[in-house]
Amino acid sequence: MSDAPGIVWLASFPKSGNTWFRIFLANLAAGRDEPADINDLDERGGIASSRHEFEAATLLDSGLISHADIDRLRPRIYERIAAETKAQRWIKVHDAYTLTEAGEPLLGRGAARSAIYLVRDPRDVAVSLAHHNTTTIDAAIALMNRPDGALCRGRRGQPPQLRQQLLGWSGHVASWLGQTDVPAHLMRYEDMRADPHRAFAAALGFAERPASAEDIARAIRHADFAELQRQERERGFTERTSRTTPFFRAGEVGGWRRELTGEQVAALERAHAPMMARLGYELSEVAEAAA
Amino acid sequence: MAEGEGEPPVHSYRISGLAVASQLELLGAIDAPANDDAPDITVRLQAAPQTLAGGVAGGPNWEIEGERVLLRVPRVGRFLIEGGRHIGVELEPGATPRDASIFVLGVSFGILLHQRGAMALHGAAVARDGRALAICGASGDGKSTLSTALCRAGFEFVADDICAVSLGDDGRPLVWPDGRQLKLWREAIDQLGVAQSQGAAVRGGIEKYFIGAPAAAIAAPRLTAIYVLNDVRPPRAEAIEPLNLPDAMRALDLQAYRPAIRARIASKPHNLAQSAAVLRHARAFRFDRPRGFEHMDRLVEALAAHWEALGR
Repeated sequence: MSDAPGIVWLASFPKSGNTWFRIFLANLAAGRDEPADINDLDERGGIASSRHEFEAATLLDSGLISHADIDRLRPRIYERIAAETKAQRWIKVHDAYTLTEAGEPLLGRGAARSAIYLVRDPRDVAVSLAHHNTTTIDAAIALMNRPDGALCRGRRGQPPQLRQQLLGWSGHVASWLGQTDVPAHLMRYEDMRADPHRAFAAALGFAERPASAEDIARAIRHADFAELQRQERERGFTERTSRTTPFFRAGEVGGWRRELTGEQVAALERAHAPMMARLGYELSEVAEAAA
Repeated sequence: MAEGEGEPPVHSYRISGLAVASQLELLGAIDAPANDDAPDITVRLQAAPQTLAGGVAGGPNWEIEGERVLLRVPRVGRFLIEGGRHIGVELEPGATPRDASIFVLGVSFGILLHQRGAMALHGAAVARDGRALAICGASGDGKSTLSTALCRAGFEFVADDICAVSLGDDGRPLVWPDGRQLKLWREAIDQLGVAQSQGAAVRGGIEKYFIGAPAAAIAAPRLTAIYVLNDVRPPRAEAIEPLNLPDAMRALDLQAYRPAIRARIASKPHNLAQSAAVLRHARAFRFDRPRGFEHMDRLVEALAAHWEALGR
């Protein structure tokens, strides 16, 4: 049995386990006895917001046209990839699921066969995001709480990727779980950590990517955090943005209890309580006391 | 009939070594006195088709049919690039010739150079004593920033975006000026402290500006080295290393201006022969360096010293 061909979106708010899962996929595809090099992943389908891909396809310098106009061209790029790809291509995407000004899905209509949507407790996301962006935790929370939040929006320089609308943490989740264009499978980071085999096997099944239990187990071992940290320590990691903080930190679940102040927890929970409840993230006593 | 059609071109430039007669004012281009010789290239405001009959889509906003390429730029217009000789522009309602200028000088000219079978590298070039070095790399890698810093360290500005390379009578490669000014983002202008050299915005509403260089080349200096920028990552240290011939050939292919359309226009054997001819006299290197303005002085010094040591 072979993979069902086409694009599979690997969608998430940043710092929700997307890269870990992609490294697992790369190891699964490589099927070798040693872990794949995290800086040379075969399974790298890229990121939907790649500026390089956009410029290569449109011939245009993305810095010279508006974000909205870039967005109007983006659906065509994915439709083209979908038409040309004969294999299964997993593409990472941090954009919220939005429509362009022309009223069509940013990610194209009918371009993808399915999506895996990864979600993580927003309180842990805040800690991880602050480390990743080398900002304060308050700045990370502000980005998560802004309904018009975006990545790479600045136009004083050339950001590494195209502008990605996030719509805030709740808005991001709601946009992906609410859309009906692409069949989506929800995968919680906490479930990935607790029982990776079960979580990953379910995602692969949804995407019609066949794999034996043995292969899945080996790929999980090769994508173990200790292994990723070892490789990053020795050779660095191409997707690292901070000069000081490693990309692969603890990957911890619940670390926010130690790292966030009561006020920070309350700020997140006030903004996201309904979506947290929907996803099974319990509100803390701090927020309940404050309420 | 579109605005300006039938009227004679009023602006005269020299771009990438070619005589250009244009109805549009092209910001940042090198003015050249008009003479009676027929120009190599004409640029006109004209009606452009919505689509090319018999054309094949090459990307979401462009199509190609024989020697004609039709490029759509959102909210600016349609650009018809024909036979390596002519660029026709139909502006969208609300767009001005000023909006179109940078898309004529950049992408349209890049396509036109490919149609002419010329070598067009996506990169910047600076020169000293009649010899030039080119800096290639992905968009956003800091080619313009590094070349601005080199110009402040005494190099002449040659090209900022498109390096047109041709072979001289002696078979040695020459690189042609693509304009008289660099183009820098606001962030780089502030970090390099070159606000006093800042000119007009490259396009209205965009925080990218023309920057006057202390000295700009008018003639074509000899291209002696091509440096391809890479991010430095452990365990690789900051270094300039020569590329062997196969890697250098591959690098020139990858660093061509918009390889996707070049592949549709120029044949592989033609491109290979061209790269081989250039590499007979110019050497190619990979330059692994950290990002960040704080490294700029050191990088300029390292690059200048490396290039000088290559000699003539």
